[in-house]
Amino acid sequence: MNTTPISSILSDPALIRRRKWRMLKDKLTKYGMTVGGISIIIAILLIFFYLLYVVFPIFLPAHLEKVRSFKILAPTAGETVYLATEEKSEVGVRFTRQGHAVQFKLDGSQIIADNTLAPVGTTVTSFAVADPATGVVAFGLNDGRAIVVKQKYEITYGGENNVREIKSRLDYPLGEAPLVIDEKGQALLTLDLQLGENSNTFVAVTKDNRLLVSTITKETSFLDDSVSLTRTQGELSLQQAKITHLLLEKEQRVLYAADKDGQVWYISLQDKTAPQILQRVHVVQTFQERITALEFLTGDISLLVGDSSGRITQWFLVRDNNNNNLLTKIREFHDQQSPIVAIAAEERRKGFIAADSSGQVGIYHTTAQRTLLVKPVTEASVAISQLGLAPRADTLLVEDVAGNLHIWAIQNEHPEVSWSTLWNKVWYENYAKPEYLWQSSAATNDFEPKFSLMPLAFGTLKAAFYAMLIAVPIAVFGAIYTAYFMAPSIRRLVKPTIEIMAALPTVILGFLAGLWLAPMLENNLLAMVILFILLPTGVLLFAYVWQWLPKTIRYRVPPGWEAALLMPVVLGLIWWSSLLKEPLETWLFQGDIRHWLTHDLGIRFDQRNALVVGVAMGLAVIPNIFSIAEDAVFSVPKHLTIGSLALGATSWQTMTRVVILTASPGIFSAVMIGMGRAVGETMIVLMATGNTPVMDWNIFEGLRTLAANIAVEMPESEVNGTHFRILFLSALVLFIFTFFFNTLSEVIRQRLRKKYSSL
Amino acid sequence: MLPPVSPLPLGEGPGVRANPPSTIITEYMTQNGTTLTHGIDFASLGRSEPILSLDNEDLCVEVKNLNLYYDNKQALRNINMQIPRRRVTAYIGPSGCGKSTLLRCFNRMNDLVDSVQIKGQILLDGNDIFDPAVNVAELRRRVGMVFQKPNPFPKSVYENVAYGFRLQGINSRRILDEVVEKSLKGAALWDEVKDRLHDNALGLSGGQQQRLVIARAIAIEPEVLLLDEPASALDPISTLKIEELINELKAEYTIVIVTHNMQQAARVSDYTAFMYLGELIEFGDTATLFTNPTKKQTEDYITGRYG
Repeated sequence: MNTTPISSILSDPALIRRRKWRMLKDKLTKYGMTVGGISIIIAILLIFFYLLYVVFPIFLPAHLEKVRSFKILAPTAGETVYLATEEKSEVGVRFTRQGHAVQFKLDGSQIIADNTLAPVGTTVTSFAVADPATGVVAFGLNDGRAIVVKQKYEITYGGENNVREIKSRLDYPLGEAPLVIDEKGQALLTLDLQLGENSNTFVAVTKDNRLLVSTITKETSFLDDSVSLTRTQGELSLQQAKITHLLLEKEQRVLYAADKDGQVWYISLQDKTAPQILQRVHVVQTFQERITALEFLTGDISLLVGDSSGRITQWFLVRDNNNNNLLTKIREFHDQQSPIVAIAAEERRKGFIAADSSGQVGIYHTTAQRTLLVKPVTEASVAISQLGLAPRADTLLVEDVAGNLHIWAIQNEHPEVSWSTLWNKVWYENYAKPEYLWQSSAATNDFEPKFSLMPLAFGTLKAAFYAMLIAVPIAVFGAIYTAYFMAPSIRRLVKPTIEIMAALPTVILGFLAGLWLAPMLENNLLAMVILFILLPTGVLLFAYVWQWLPKTIRYRVPPGWEAALLMPVVLGLIWWSSLLKEPLETWLFQGDIRHWLTHDLGIRFDQRNALVVGVAMGLAVIPNIFSIAEDAVFSVPKHLTIGSLALGATSWQTMTRVVILTASPGIFSAVMIGMGRAVGETMIVLMATGNTPVMDWNIFEGLRTLAANIAVEMPESEVNGTHFRILFLSALVLFIFTFFFNTLSEVIRQRLRKKYSSL
Repeated sequence: MLPPVSPLPLGEGPGVRANPPSTIITEYMTQNGTTLTHGIDFASLGRSEPILSLDNEDLCVEVKNLNLYYDNKQALRNINMQIPRRRVTAYIGPSGCGKSTLLRCFNRMNDLVDSVQIKGQILLDGNDIFDPAVNVAELRRRVGMVFQKPNPFPKSVYENVAYGFRLQGINSRRILDEVVEKSLKGAALWDEVKDRLHDNALGLSGGQQQRLVIARAIAIEPEVLLLDEPASALDPISTLKIEELINELKAEYTIVIVTHNMQQAARVSDYTAFMYLGELIEFGDTATLFTNPTKKQTEDYITGRYG
């Protein structure tokens, strides 16, 4: 049978082609959408993983890698008392008990020089290092004199290939002749010294057990440039005490001594002619234990005490309630089990390396309370005798009792960070108690960086809290009024106007907040407070009076236009509170409310404070919250409101019982989106908060947020440094913050929406 | 003989199609227009009441010279009518004729629509409801309304019914329990929901939701109950239940119903008003209007000439 196809305009080939094209477009759109959606997720994940990638190294442990070992050079020069090297770790120096300074190449290939420093006819009885960073050392002699030497390194580039060459030499900063420390000529058994700009202080314990403090002041004659040294001396009898270590801090005002009984003495050198023992404190736990090492952490504020049980404790002076400085134990490390024989403090960080008699070294960081590594560094657990650390803390020199020198490369980029530094209270040097502090950098090397993220996280939440406190009522109530009560003709004007406010650059808001609002608020603080009370009461009062007005006046205002009537009321109240301010301030607060706040109530007042941020950032988030909440209220199904009204509900009853209930998912997500915006907002908080990382809910005090902190500090942080990575970590924290808030809001919104899904 | 014609031209709601065709006269006017004209075989409805007359009725609502404008478009033109107490008054007419608009005037629901202008009077028990001194919320309590689409609140069944009482500030559990039971029984819903009073009302079926909405409306004991196409979104069984309910309710309430479905109007109402293009064409007792309309337009409509 022959069937003729139904001829129709719809089976026209052109139309069939068109249908195919339509299908293709449909498919393309589908895949396009999928690709777009997935790439957004990938992009966010990439940001997340990039942040993690930058942050990750700060949690890595330290690494020690052996470079080489060799027998110590020039063993005839004597037993090593001190090992040191320079910046580039090419040249090392070994000071010996015989008073030699042996300079050698760290590759073990040659001795550069072997100088005898002790004068002929004397023997060396003690050795001291002033400040490792200055390279000054001293030998104490058996005749009560001392010789001071300074190591100097010069880097030159010479030869045909412009090869780097390090020349080392020894200087005599106080003259080549030995200095008399003890006028009685007794041998100096223990010695320490510090050289300053003008005055140089030596402390020593003599053979007849006196503690000597001698100050040598260098004076240059203005006539002939000749140098003369004047000398003062103080003395303290030690009676039976056996002092093993002496440590003089670089300001030359405090001296610490350790004795054989496990005590540390805190001696004031305020008056150098009359040293005064202020405190003696037991620093070991049992009477069997002894102090085996005593060193300063860089900065000479903290004492590190190593004892015979392998424990290392950190101590510094803490001012107590009676205003006395007392040596206080701050923290301890007990990751090594054999007696600590040497401690080498890092020159530029609050870290140190401790060596014990079982051949192990431990790498520690005090602020972070972190043991980064404990590792044996000698062969067959031979005890370590000396430890030397390069200025950059990247090379470790270890000498064992068998006379081998081991050179290790240290990889320890970020010891400063641990969970506790970021989130717990930390007891920083010079502070009376553990605190949350953010203070990331300073000009000096011995500064202790304070990397607590708590003040920043707190500041972020505080700023968001005050901003929400101002924005949520205004935005949500405004949205409900606009969507539900306002005359449509005004609504058509109001809604886009407020939405346009969202496009206002935050830098302008911040600028206004910082430079106009903050001083304005400071000068009109009382007027502001009055307004906060007057505005709600005045508006309510007006509404109350309004309903008693004659009908002829009331019916003249079309429904929904009542808000317009409030404009003059609000302006009037503002004007009135500014009038009230002066007399009230004079009458109640002695003419200055800020002064009254600070002195009578003890509330600190900063010009850039949380109130300013609350107002400015509140203003910034109002459009976001308003817009979404307004849509939510407006899109409450009309049949519900009408149903409620038809049951005899007033508008207010309908709003509170039906509209808000039904719009609650939308209102909630509006608030959460506002919250997310307030948490991540940068420019306003940067310009209006004062950026003071304090932790206080006081509305009149400043704050610093995570976002502002990144903006402030990122430009000045060293790329890939610890500070840099911590800023990335705070970005990650911020990311998690907003992620958390958004997820929470989304989950709650989904649940609410499910509840009202059949509408 | 012409084959039976489905009543499609009469209305648009699903209820229309579902009605038994037996009530439809299958003959249409012939070319010369002499044949019998009524669209509904009244005898088959089983109505036995005597012919009613407005003159014998106690009037509840009186509409006087009512004109309504949306912007510049006039939606109601000079309406004058009386609605008797404890009767069912039905409005019929094609879409857009203004019957719902008129219904919404009775409880001032049109106030919620922008740019509505109303001229004229509606007297409820002799008082003008458009007087600015009238408390609209109180008016709406007295004139309850049920809409075309069931609109329970996203609350429990119990709270939906108790809503009107709570609005009046009555929160006593005992009173509310009583009211909820009475109203749900009144709306013939009690047996179906008595075990799930505290479940969300949105979980009920469409017909149950509509009866719940009626229960909610009668809970606050209104004088007048306005029903705006209450069964047009429901299936035939639910429709039947609603119609039975209307029959029971008229013992206590003045009921005004708008419907597209002429059979429904004929079945449930005592009086029927036919509206066309914003005008009240004819108003009288239902039997007369359907069997012997005085106006040609009415006759055309009920016989299915337009709709």
